[in-house]
Amino acid sequence: MKKLINDPAHYVDEALDGLTLAFPSLARDGAAGRVIRRAEGVTSGKVGIASGGGFGHLPLFTGYVGRGLIDTCSIGNVFEGPNIDSCVDAIRLADGGRGVLRLYGNYGGDRMNFDMAGEVLEDEGIRCTTVLGTDDIASGGPDEIGRRRGVAGLIYAYKAAGASADRGADLEEVTRVAAKAVAATRTIGVGLAPCRLPSAAKPSFELAEDEIEMGIGIHGEPGIWRDRLRPADAIADEMVDRLLADLPAHAGSEVSVLVNGLGATPLEELFILYRRVRKRLDDARLNVFQPLVGNYVTSMEMQGASVSLFHLDEELKTLLCAPAECPFWRVS
Amino acid sequence: MELTVFQIAEGVSRAARAMAGLEQELNAADAKLGDGDTGSMLARVIGAMAASEPQAAGSVSDVFGRLARAGMSATGSSLGTLFASSLLGLSKQTREWERVDWEDLSSLLAAARDGMMARGNAKLGDKTVLDALDAVAAAVAGEVDAEGAARAAREAVDRVILEFRGRPCRMGRAKFFAEKSVGLDDPGMLAFVALTKAVAELPQNAT
Repeated sequence: MKKLINDPAHYVDEALDGLTLAFPSLARDGAAGRVIRRAEGVTSGKVGIASGGGFGHLPLFTGYVGRGLIDTCSIGNVFEGPNIDSCVDAIRLADGGRGVLRLYGNYGGDRMNFDMAGEVLEDEGIRCTTVLGTDDIASGGPDEIGRRRGVAGLIYAYKAAGASADRGADLEEVTRVAAKAVAATRTIGVGLAPCRLPSAAKPSFELAEDEIEMGIGIHGEPGIWRDRLRPADAIADEMVDRLLADLPAHAGSEVSVLVNGLGATPLEELFILYRRVRKRLDDARLNVFQPLVGNYVTSMEMQGASVSLFHLDEELKTLLCAPAECPFWRVS
Repeated sequence: MELTVFQIAEGVSRAARAMAGLEQELNAADAKLGDGDTGSMLARVIGAMAASEPQAAGSVSDVFGRLARAGMSATGSSLGTLFASSLLGLSKQTREWERVDWEDLSSLLAAARDGMMARGNAKLGDKTVLDALDAVAAAVAGEVDAEGAARAAREAVDRVILEFRGRPCRMGRAKFFAEKSVGLDDPGMLAFVALTKAVAELPQNAT
């Protein structure tokens, strides 16, 4: 598994340097440069949205810093939560005077550091709320949704909460919208080949040449089953079946769907997958609105894909349509 | 006998040296149940701790605080954060103490264990670093010097890793596939065991 890198120890910082040079709307800030914020700065009077997470998932998390999305992002090392200093700075830099929503994926290290950052900031009078992404249906049953991991569907929560904050909603309302968006999102992934962390000698997991893993996480966490590779339509069918068997409480007749590449799977294959997913959703009489196909949340060079359904009602649909712009997602 | 800043700094130095050989071994253990970076993360955290000049600390509380801050700056991973935040707890706990004795080690480790449980939501028996820490905390109770504590700690970690190997992991990424973890060592527990053995390798007579 070859990598186009220099020193593994500089992997994150060199990538962030390149990212901000390529996209001047993003600026590095905070402890050791491990916060990305909107270059134009915080909008006074707007509820701030701070996210964060380990590196290695671009465009997630930091690529979604932008208008109508998140304001700041703390960045950890590859597949490690952001440290407490960067979480403190991400919250401070997101604060426009009306409080800050911490919106990130449900992982232990991320939770601990954002929680401790909140404790540090209590004395500064910055009001904080928290919503965790928990969309991965392979990581817990419907009766333990709070234990599920956050994966690709987190971008829908960014979009909905970001639009709500842009409209001038207060912290409680932005938090409600974010929680509603998370509750309306379901994702499942499939892995075809692992990635390798820059500092590790071996891939993050082993998978035989002809094997796939259904339900894999974005760090290679074990999934539901491993078996022989099968045609894309069969894989799409199982993913859609599992997603439709795990409907949110108030699911309606309209969804946005995200067919997401995990890093090394070509767009062609994602469209082959989308073609079948779309047919299955049509058959289920679900209207598909604003579909997304591409690399939105990756796991470095992992081969595979995930499918997310964002179950819409009028409110979420309106928020999904609201203008937003970041380097990797634009809604106008 | 007194537990000194020098002894703690020497322990950190031993742990840092041991990580050179342990890094890829722990990465490989983690790759079976997690994402394969536990060794690299700990090498960075312990390297940062060793570079924080613990030997220059003015007190045991101060040395714990230095190590905690260095660790917290070096990572945001669950294991690294728990490790560092428990050291911060020990620093706070011993702030007003005139001296710390080896006899206090058991209760300090127990306090670190409780702090990690509160922060990380894991329980004893989940097959995590906590079970190993708990075993060492119990084993060093009543030990009054470095030699006795080191011997008891080595025996405890040898015992605990075998005791838990056949059990499923109930915490961390491995919990999602618990039956697969039976027969495998939890990477965090394995790291604690290996580092305890490195730190407790020889009696520390210096004061």
